[in-house]
Amino acid sequence: MAWQRVAALESLRDSGVVGVELEATPIALYRFGAEVFATHGICTHALAFLKDGWVEDGTIECPLHQGVFDIRTGRALCAPLTRDLATYAVKVEGGDVYVDLEISGIHPNSAAECPAAGAHSEGASAALPLVIIGAGQAAAAAIRAARAAGFAAPIHLVGEERHAPYERPPLSKAALAEGFDAASCMRLSPADAQALGVTLHLGVRATAIDPVARTVTLSDGAALAYGALLLATGGRARRLTAPGGDLPGVHYLRTLEDAQAIAMALKGAGRVAVIGGGFIGLELASAAVARGAEVVLLEREPELMARLLPAPLGAVFRQVAERAGVSIRRDTAVTGITQEAAHLTIATSAGPVMADVVLVGVGLEPETALAEAAGCAVDGGIVVDGEARTSVEGIWAAGDCALHATPLRGRARRLESWQNAEEQGAAAGRSIAGVAGAAEAKAPWFWSDQFGFNIQMLGITAPDDAVVVSGPDAAAGAVYRTLDPQSGRVTAVLAVDDPAAIRAARAELDAEAPFDGAAHDARPVTLDAACDDENSDAISEDDDMSADPAAQFAKTYAWPKDGLSIIPDWVYTDETIYQREVERIFHGRTWNFVALECEVENPGDFIRSNVGPTPVVVSRAEDGTIHVFENRCAHRAAEFCRELSGTAKEFVCPYHQWSYDLKGNLVGVPFRRGVDGKGGMPKDFKPAEHGLRQLKVETHRGVVFASYAEDMEPLADYLGPEVMHEFETTFDGRKPKLLGHYRHSLPGNWKLYHENLKDPYHATLLHTFLVTFGLLVAGNKSLMLADPSGRHGVMASAKSEAGNVDEDKKKEMRAYKEGMSLEEPRFMNFIDEFDSPWSVTMATIWPNLIVQREMNTLGIRHIIPNGPNEFVMKWTMFGFEGDDEEMTRHRLRQGNLMGPAGFLGLEDNEAIKFVQDGMLRVTDGEHLVKLDPETEAGTADTLISEAAIRAMYKHWRDVMGIA
Amino acid sequence: MLTMEKPAQTRDDLIDALLLKAEVDAFNARYCAALDSQRLADWAALFTEDAFYTIISRENHDRGLPVGLIYCENGGMIRDRAFALEKTAMFAPRYLRHMVSNLSVREAADGSFTANADYVVFQVLFDRPAATIHQVGRYDDVFVRTPSGLRLKSRTCIYDSLLVDNALCIPV
Ligand SMILES: Cc1cc2nc3c(=O)[nH]c(=O)nc-3n(C[C@H](O)[C@H](O)[C@H](O)COP(=O)(O)OP(=O)(O)OC[C@H]3O[C@@H](n4cnc5c(N)ncnc54)[C@H](O)[C@@H]3O)c2cc1C
Ligand code: FES
Ligand SMILES: [Fe+2]
Repeated sequence: MAWQRVAALESLRDSGVVGVELEATPIALYRFGAEVFATHGICTHALAFLKDGWVEDGTIECPLHQGVFDIRTGRALCAPLTRDLATYAVKVEGGDVYVDLEISGIHPNSAAECPAAGAHSEGASAALPLVIIGAGQAAAAAIRAARAAGFAAPIHLVGEERHAPYERPPLSKAALAEGFDAASCMRLSPADAQALGVTLHLGVRATAIDPVARTVTLSDGAALAYGALLLATGGRARRLTAPGGDLPGVHYLRTLEDAQAIAMALKGAGRVAVIGGGFIGLELASAAVARGAEVVLLEREPELMARLLPAPLGAVFRQVAERAGVSIRRDTAVTGITQEAAHLTIATSAGPVMADVVLVGVGLEPETALAEAAGCAVDGGIVVDGEARTSVEGIWAAGDCALHATPLRGRARRLESWQNAEEQGAAAGRSIAGVAGAAEAKAPWFWSDQFGFNIQMLGITAPDDAVVVSGPDAAAGAVYRTLDPQSGRVTAVLAVDDPAAIRAARAELDAEAPFDGAAHDARPVTLDAACDDENSDAISEDDDMSADPAAQFAKTYAWPKDGLSIIPDWVYTDETIYQREVERIFHGRTWNFVALECEVENPGDFIRSNVGPTPVVVSRAEDGTIHVFENRCAHRAAEFCRELSGTAKEFVCPYHQWSYDLKGNLVGVPFRRGVDGKGGMPKDFKPAEHGLRQLKVETHRGVVFASYAEDMEPLADYLGPEVMHEFETTFDGRKPKLLGHYRHSLPGNWKLYHENLKDPYHATLLHTFLVTFGLLVAGNKSLMLADPSGRHGVMASAKSEAGNVDEDKKKEMRAYKEGMSLEEPRFMNFIDEFDSPWSVTMATIWPNLIVQREMNTLGIRHIIPNGPNEFVMKWTMFGFEGDDEEMTRHRLRQGNLMGPAGFLGLEDNEAIKFVQDGMLRVTDGEHLVKLDPETEAGTADTLISEAAIRAMYKHWRDVMGIA
Repeated sequence: MLTMEKPAQTRDDLIDALLLKAEVDAFNARYCAALDSQRLADWAALFTEDAFYTIISRENHDRGLPVGLIYCENGGMIRDRAFALEKTAMFAPRYLRHMVSNLSVREAADGSFTANADYVVFQVLFDRPAATIHQVGRYDDVFVRTPSGLRLKSRTCIYDSLLVDNALCIPV
């Protein structure tokens, strides 16, 4: 095929990325000065568009899981990526950019293009093979790099495990959860190996090396001659030396089989003991907690990772684990394990601990015996130079078995990390291929996933470094820096759920100057501060009973210093806050939805409804006016109206027969004058003063609102022009017609529902349905509007015509599976009945109404809170008078999207429940709403934004009097 | 009971009626088994191509309002539902148990027949101790006989438990 013009050079931002489409293939274009590169537009990991990613140093970082690709070669550079990205040839001519889809980009480093052994074996037959001992990650990296650098001789890969190289990080994470697919962590598949001219010797151990004759002996008796030998032997999980360390039920973790055994053991394990509080120990604890086990973690040292990290940082990890429910015993050394029936008893310096399963993570013993026997210098790890050469001619070493080339912070060390295996392996591969020169030194980088957090660390810290924190402490968004005590320079940055901070940290590590704490709003973390995590000023000062209640409230409910981007959990879980919400919001200056007018069509018609939690009756009086009053008898508070809807002439409380008219006025009190002059109501009792509590009512376009505020402003002022406009677009003058209700209870705080609909970020991430069937793609036109007060909002999107993704593109998008298309195509039709650019709008009208216009399925969602931790959602689905039968059916068909069983609706309900669960199980937690810092609060011009949620909380704090 | 609604004339009639009832019972057992083991494609296969399936609250049903939690107008939509729930929907894992009883069957002249039965669906979430009654209701069915056995031409699930516990993730 030919070159096709895709863009004008002018339109590409330097060092930026844009997405284009060519023959239904999404393409990402990157410009560096006058040069342009093209790759496939979708990440090879999951469905994410790289045009939304982050370009840096010639790489593109995926927006979804931060996988990084080399832009020029398409090479996948880090987890979770396992497959390279397709690249395409690009030329720039006369200011225009052309792409040829049939020619891949020029990528001299790419494995796919390099001479595979088959093709070159003739020319290279003189060259002796490369033998690699250890088929792990470093080996895979070395193979790819060697081939990419033109190494043409045969490669033999000897591995003791029966698997081709795979990645280990998932072993303590995804592999311990349900539904793990081992294929997903392959690093060099047998097919890749074949393509790269690698002969696999799997399930075979190398037993001896003769460095003079240059041969390796294998456990199956074979011998391999080598020109170059790479030791990539990794290491073994260190065993407990105490007796009982090998009992069944005591597990170690290094291999896939180990992980599978642990996953099995965790099924149904009640009590799990983890020995060792390092990264792997913590991840194991996290997996066990996730499986519902009761977890105790035993650490010999006074703090977690005491020999690796400054104590305040160790304490951060500890707090995170403790909050997730792990009980951590420090200063606790294991002295032995005994077994009785299925139970294990661990004897420790601090008394016995019982468990069903014991998981051990006490470190790694590097596999260096072969190297030593071959005469290589070994000093706690195989000594190598910047090209990964050992002290013996013809032998290289890389990965967990080797030391880092230069001392780091004054110490020769091994870096047991994914990144090191990758880089040292690649350095060895290049050096073996004859490409001289050490790779540029990159700061060591490491990540760990535990207790729902992604923790990344860049740089090398030492136990006596000082620690400062920016943002919250021990929570998502926390960024810790460790500082050299002498120079004050940053030595490492550790970020919790904040990959951007790690990106920024590269420059900080390079900086010569001491760290400027003030510029980063950083405060020191000392051990004391970290230790009394259970601080909470609120509790300690609570006992001051004499304090003025307002001051007391202000003290107890102080918003975090960080401003709008952090929301404390008590906002959602606290009973006092909830009571105040009822008083100040639902019973305050707000208009609350109560009914559609068509539900009380005729005089005498009524329905039960609610304003906030408070039950009310909506009724139409004889004169045609609509009235809303509390469903609570003025006598003894009985909730007298029990039918969901009906027709009545009056309301009579069944308890003592007090009767009220259709406007809520008290008309009859039995035996008001007593019997025989005895008893009865006081003489001065005036029925007019004892009617039901009546609310102010306004109706607009067939929708009934009520307010407790007697001097409430008109609805139009309350909504403001923008939100009113959207309201009137849906309620366009046609008369609404009731189609039915759904009712469901949600175990979450009522505000989470508003947030869900002010959170356009979740739509393509949670609702796979939308993406799977091509109904919403990140490129759809959309808007997240917040009204000037911050309380109302409208989330809107337009179904693009191109949203009907064609077959070719479906193949590209990995969420599409074979046969994934709807059998009922009418389900997704949009009949353009509204005067609007949007096909979907969700208007969140404070405090209790959501107007759903999901294409043609229309609904009111009415929030009825029931304490801080639960609310009821009542849906009123409607069409319009004048709809023909087919239109009504169309609305009903599309109704499958929403509601408690809706394809999207059920997911939102579940997500809200998960959030509340997450809050209830941690004390004093907080949430992050940091997306899109450019818009502090208000309407955002990107969907990857939480600015509307921030706007809502600005308003909320104002009304609630929370500074 | 069948015999009370339309007293069987002869012993043969009675046996026929009992056999038919047993057949529907067996069908419902299969139906419940498919749902309880969350084999939704198998569930979808128990309907005819022109089948109608809905789960509607008793509130809506009694007032003649058509809105249902699930609303499928044909076999394709039923399969769409099964497919989407199995492949795309995110919800917490759970176990369900469907119980059906009080079956009554009335045969129509054209060989199809209508049936009613009461159902209860229990739900177990992994972090809650008790099985909760997720839904209680009544099936209103039309069956047809096909070469591969009985199939539902229509099933309306009319539920009494109006307030759904959070979300309904598996059909009833
Ligand atoms: C459970 C777990 C979780 C991890 N999580 C993370 C993380 O989140 N982030 C991170 O950065 N890093 C993590 N790591 C570390 C990372 O996986 C390792 O640093 C990396 O795997 C090292 O690669 P390697 O090739 O040096 O060694 P390995 O991958 O261990 O490969 C060595 C291979 O050599 C074989 N072998 C040894 N001796 C012989 C012999 N004589 N003959 C034949 N074969 C032999 C071994 O069987 C093994 O298969 C984790 C490690 C583990 C175990
Ligand atoms: S890293 Fe790109 S989709 Fe996961
Ligand atoms: Fe949603």
